[in-house]
Amino acid sequence: MRRLISACLCTGRKYELYSMDWDLKEELRDCLVAAAPYGGPIALLRNPWRKEKAASVRPVLEIYSASGLPLASLLWKSGPVVSLGWSAEEELLCVQEDGGVLVYGLHGDFRRHFSMGNEVLQNRVLDARIFHTEFGSGVAILTGAHRFTLSANVSDLKLRRMPEVPGLQGAPSCWTALCQDRVAHILLAVGPDLYLLDQSACSAVTPSGLAPGVSSFLQMAVSFTYRHLALFTDTGYIWMGTASLKEKLCEFNCNIRAPPKQMVWCSRPRSKERAVVVAWERRLMVVGDAPESIQFVLDEDSYLVPELDGVRIFSRSTHEFLHEVPVASEEIFKIASMAPGALLLEAQKEYEKESQKADEYLREIQELGQLTQAVQQCIEAAGHEHRPDMQKSLLRAASFGKCFLDRFPPDSFVRMCQDLRVLNAIRDYHIGIPLTYSQYKQLTIQVLLDRYSKPQDSGRRAVCGQASQPLLDSCGHCSSPVSLGSGRPELQAGVRLPSLSHLTLVPFTPSPARLVLRRLYPLAIQICEYLRLPEVQGVSRILAHWACYKVQQKDVSDEDVARAINQKLGDTPGVSYSDIAARAYGCGRTELAIKLLEYEPRSGEQVPLLLKMKRSKLALSKAIESGDTDLVFTVLLHLKNELNRGDFFMTLRNQPMALSLYRQFCKHQELETLKDLYNQDDNHQELGSFHIRASYAAEERIEGRVAALQTAADAFYKAKNEFAAKATEDQMRLLRLQRRLEDELGGRFLDLSLHDTVTTLILGGHNKRAEQLARDFRIPDKRLWWLKLTALADLEDWEELEKFSKSKKSPIGYLPFVEICMKQHNKYEAKKYASRVGPEQKVKALLLVGDVAQAADVAIEHRNEAELSLVLSHCTGATDGATADKIQRARAQAQKK
Amino acid sequence: MAFPHRLDAPELPDFSMLKRLARDQLIYLLEQLPGKKDLFIEADLMSPLDRIANVSILKQHEVDKLYKVENKPAVSSSEQLCFLVRPRIKNMRYVASLVNADKLAGRTRKYKVIFSPQKFHACEMVLEEEGVYGDVSCDEWAFSLLPLDVDLLSMELPEFFRDYFLEGDQRWINTVAQALHLLSTLYGPFPNCYGIGRCAKMSYELWRTLEEEEDGETKGRRPEIGHIFLLDRDVDFVTALCSQVVYEGLVDDTFRIKCGSVDFGPEVTSSDRSLKVLLNAEDKVFNEIRNEHFSNVFGFLSQKARNLQAQYDRRRGMDIKQMKNFVSQELKGLKQEHRLLSVHIGACESIMKKKTKQDFQELIKTEHALLEGFNIRESTSYIEEHIDRQVSPIESLRLMCLLSITENGLIPKDYRSLKTQYLQSYGPEHLLTFSNLRRAGLLTEQAPGDTLTAVESKVSKLVTDKAAGKITDAFSSLAKRSNFRAISKKLNLIPRVDGEYDLKVPRDMAYVFSGAYVPLSCRVIEQVLERRSWQGLDEVLRLLNCSVTKEDKASSESLRLILVVFLGGCTFSEISALRFLGREKGYRFIFLTTAVTNSARLMEAMSEVKA
Repeated sequence: MRRLISACLCTGRKYELYSMDWDLKEELRDCLVAAAPYGGPIALLRNPWRKEKAASVRPVLEIYSASGLPLASLLWKSGPVVSLGWSAEEELLCVQEDGGVLVYGLHGDFRRHFSMGNEVLQNRVLDARIFHTEFGSGVAILTGAHRFTLSANVSDLKLRRMPEVPGLQGAPSCWTALCQDRVAHILLAVGPDLYLLDQSACSAVTPSGLAPGVSSFLQMAVSFTYRHLALFTDTGYIWMGTASLKEKLCEFNCNIRAPPKQMVWCSRPRSKERAVVVAWERRLMVVGDAPESIQFVLDEDSYLVPELDGVRIFSRSTHEFLHEVPVASEEIFKIASMAPGALLLEAQKEYEKESQKADEYLREIQELGQLTQAVQQCIEAAGHEHRPDMQKSLLRAASFGKCFLDRFPPDSFVRMCQDLRVLNAIRDYHIGIPLTYSQYKQLTIQVLLDRYSKPQDSGRRAVCGQASQPLLDSCGHCSSPVSLGSGRPELQAGVRLPSLSHLTLVPFTPSPARLVLRRLYPLAIQICEYLRLPEVQGVSRILAHWACYKVQQKDVSDEDVARAINQKLGDTPGVSYSDIAARAYGCGRTELAIKLLEYEPRSGEQVPLLLKMKRSKLALSKAIESGDTDLVFTVLLHLKNELNRGDFFMTLRNQPMALSLYRQFCKHQELETLKDLYNQDDNHQELGSFHIRASYAAEERIEGRVAALQTAADAFYKAKNEFAAKATEDQMRLLRLQRRLEDELGGRFLDLSLHDTVTTLILGGHNKRAEQLARDFRIPDKRLWWLKLTALADLEDWEELEKFSKSKKSPIGYLPFVEICMKQHNKYEAKKYASRVGPEQKVKALLLVGDVAQAADVAIEHRNEAELSLVLSHCTGATDGATADKIQRARAQAQKK
Repeated sequence: MAFPHRLDAPELPDFSMLKRLARDQLIYLLEQLPGKKDLFIEADLMSPLDRIANVSILKQHEVDKLYKVENKPAVSSSEQLCFLVRPRIKNMRYVASLVNADKLAGRTRKYKVIFSPQKFHACEMVLEEEGVYGDVSCDEWAFSLLPLDVDLLSMELPEFFRDYFLEGDQRWINTVAQALHLLSTLYGPFPNCYGIGRCAKMSYELWRTLEEEEDGETKGRRPEIGHIFLLDRDVDFVTALCSQVVYEGLVDDTFRIKCGSVDFGPEVTSSDRSLKVLLNAEDKVFNEIRNEHFSNVFGFLSQKARNLQAQYDRRRGMDIKQMKNFVSQELKGLKQEHRLLSVHIGACESIMKKKTKQDFQELIKTEHALLEGFNIRESTSYIEEHIDRQVSPIESLRLMCLLSITENGLIPKDYRSLKTQYLQSYGPEHLLTFSNLRRAGLLTEQAPGDTLTAVESKVSKLVTDKAAGKITDAFSSLAKRSNFRAISKKLNLIPRVDGEYDLKVPRDMAYVFSGAYVPLSCRVIEQVLERRSWQGLDEVLRLLNCSVTKEDKASSESLRLILVVFLGGCTFSEISALRFLGREKGYRFIFLTTAVTNSARLMEAMSEVKA
């Protein structure tokens, strides 16, 4: 193995990430290889199909961490694979020759399968690329018919067949997927021509400033951000420019005509330097703006993985990182650098040696007023160092420098210490995620821990720091359970970078949940605790993921899983048991899901899953428990569609709350259903009421109304409510009668009450009819008398009234006559009746007609104290003075006795 | 009159914040639909809206024209229509018909429905069924608490009563829980909770869940409101059914106070125009008489008038400077007071005209007889005559219900004959009204109740207390019996009369019913506050059914601010009674009600009227 020195050549440097002790059975060149960027895993599949004769042995698909630890290994039993690639969710996409795509998890668990369409199936897949857009991961396919089919997002599969390239006879010499303005394109090279395929058209394009004499393009590479494009021609000439091909950035002639194995961009974001790494069998060349290239010799088969800020290169024995040296590091480590950071580092070293030179260096920086800058440089440079001892010495220098600054905000220093601890922990061989500081910042801590998508971030943080916190180079260890076979949490869409076998691939926004995906729950929790992330954002989520993983352990009983989960999670805020239960259901463990739901404190959360699991009745009772009527209603509608009508009604019957809710709805929206509901329940009382309501709300014609009433009466009989039945029958009679009255007498009778009907008759002078009606409907005497009295007084038919009063003894007495006459202001008539009022009400009657004096006499005669005071209260002013005196005298007399 | 509060009585919290919150949210919602728009408002929401945001505020936020949601096609020509409605199915049908009419006419506009106080799934369902779900955007205006007065918050949901107590519909309970949650977030946690009734229990539990879900927000805050009482209206129908005789209650019974204001007709204003008057603590005259027994009001007003006159009269003999002072400082206040005084005097006269007639005296006498439970026969025939004479359908119903509840159901003979009479007087559709009243437990037949009691007592001897309680629950929910007589005895609701009850200087809360009856709801609160728990009230609780308690004594001893929540509405008499209790004992009560109600509103809610 060739040791790689930290080769510091003008702008690029390379250092070793891991020495790989994966026990590769095959040569890399014999395998399909895919490595996910952001320090992602590596998948290998020996490619027996490439050989002329298909080997009889089935190949093995192996997945390794970036440090070469085996994560999964499984026998490939499906068809020939053309291409491998990692999706944004760190799922392995295996594109088969027939256009089928098999999706595996990080641990080799089969996820799902989808097809790229019939056209692909017929013409077979010639070549495939997995690429990344801001929406997710896409697959582009070149078919045997030299047509392209692509899907920009495999989690929301929409196939697009690209237009034909005119005159294309054979396969293009090279091609790539581009992503511009949120749309995926294909760029392909045929001989000396380049074509850009978009959804609707195929257009020929020419790179600006391309050197003449090109007869074929051998390789092309798009940068990580889709901004830049590099073309390698058969003349050994490399064109580098913008992805639109409109602007040339630089060019280089390497004089090697052999087609390179791989070509990738190597540049860091926002850097002015452009560099492309080209790999042949035994040679690696970094070319850029400079007239000279940097060359390395490759001892072994190597693979390039483009990263955000560099290139990872792995081979059988090593895993290295090649990148442009960051400005801060360059300033400090440049030979004989006089940058403030370099001086500070020097000063600190001297200080440790207890040399007075420390002071000299320090003074030098201070005189230039660059101490703040020096500290910042050291902090920033520490971030870009891979080796903890280098990080430490830089941070020590920063810490030393800070002592001489009055006001230096401490957070940048503290944060860098924290970040580095986290980075060192995950870079550990056992974990194997060799993230650089820039990648880590782009990825964010949330994504590192457990999120699947991340906010579009851009900003770099200003580097400055204070506070002296001891820096430890490695965070606590962590056991990393690596088991094969069983699944890991499903993930939603996000974006994640892959690298593809031969060609460069260009991804965009990164994302997935690194540690959780690798089932490194303890480490994730330790990091959360170390960074003091709020529980809800940190530990709770990790625990929830752990629980989701736990439910997939099929060999453990439902009981035990549920208990284990509850023990660990308890009432941790932010943990949703229903989510975990949903996962359990997803694994086909319905019983476990129900058990887990029991721990869910919010019954509202339980309902949707229960419905999904077809436990609608349980869902109904949970919804009712929640008290959320909307939820109940949702379940009801679900039940209504799921069950037949009879069963639905039966279910309702046992749930009064749901029943009344549904009734309310039916009352306004589905009257017929309401009737059926009552029928089903044999609720004749309500059924009767229903028809009564119909008789005056829904029906117009009198026959219809009577019929409705008849139905109602029958229902009431069934309900043993004779009273209502009789009343309804009376009403039917009355309706018919009123109709007849309207026909015969004219006027309006329909819908009057019995009382009002009789009154109307009397007012119309139809006394006979009125009496007949009163007899027919057995109107009590008292009511009839009141009724007649009021009606006649209203008519002011005093004569008739008097006749009536004498027709027989009044059942209501005569006081009402007095009252009613007085109401009509007819004192004269009133007085007539006052005399006929019985003795106990005489006083009242006399007072009503205003005869206070006589009232007094009667009261005195009755010797009734209450009556006396009543009269007295009516004595007003001078007119009744004598009467008042009289009463007072009588009172006095009564008292004497 | 108008007793001052004790010095140690706490200050009321400032509820105007609730108005601001509601206004800001409404404005936010209106701005979600930028540009000119026409606003359709449901009639029921107009008055509450008026208290929150007036027309000029609406106009500021680009509301062009205002329409009432009615059952007729809209004439609006705006390109954007916004509907502000209660979540009712009929409103959805209205919106749907508008949208569909536009579709037929080939017109596309923007539609937005704002539900207040919340959206119901059923409403969206209807929109979907009518095929307009995609055309309409929905939003919620969580405006559930309207401060009608310094101590009175109303949810303005009169339909709560019918929906819950008649139809058994629990939709609004969530709204209540949300409202309580809002109050506790704004004004700190409530250490002590007491509740009576099923609805109270459910609201309480839902509310607790809400609080738990949003843990930490109220934690650690110092409580302001020490106690909260949740009362179901069906726990005490009696009080709500009685004729009111305190001034505010009388005004409500006579003129109907709507959303804190009343329309006084020409008979009050003694002009040809009617006058809308806002009735709350800001009306100085009203504030002094609102809680008074009516018999005192007139005397007070005339005294006030004389004082006022005297103050006016001071003008005479003033020199120029004094006069200037008087005009600039006092005159405006005096004029204002004068105006108010004349309004209330007018109202009093109008009430007197209606109420001092013999009929009213008789009515009150009958009510008192019913409350005390004597002369039942006489009362029954009074009611019968009342019906026969078609005095008032609502009044008759009220009396029948009062009779039924106080007597634990009517005897079968009366039950039939009164109903027959009623149907003859007011029409057969009231068969449905009676069926409603029976379901709500307002008007029932006596017979089955007795047998139940027998079974019940046997059962309770056999099994443990707790189980017995459950069984009692089950039984009483079957027959919703009222047990009024027993409760009345236990709680001493009918004060013993020795001599004349001095209505001028009341000695207990009975003054709100002329000294004849202490409102049950208020008495329960009084007792719990006195005993600082339910202790000793076990029997009453058993009779009242279903209760909740959460006590946290330590932190609340000194808290004398009490929130009383009436589920299904409260009457002004109850408010007056509790205000009186507060003054006596140094508490301050805050009232939260689903709506202010009275006997007529309760009866109307139960009545079936021809559409």
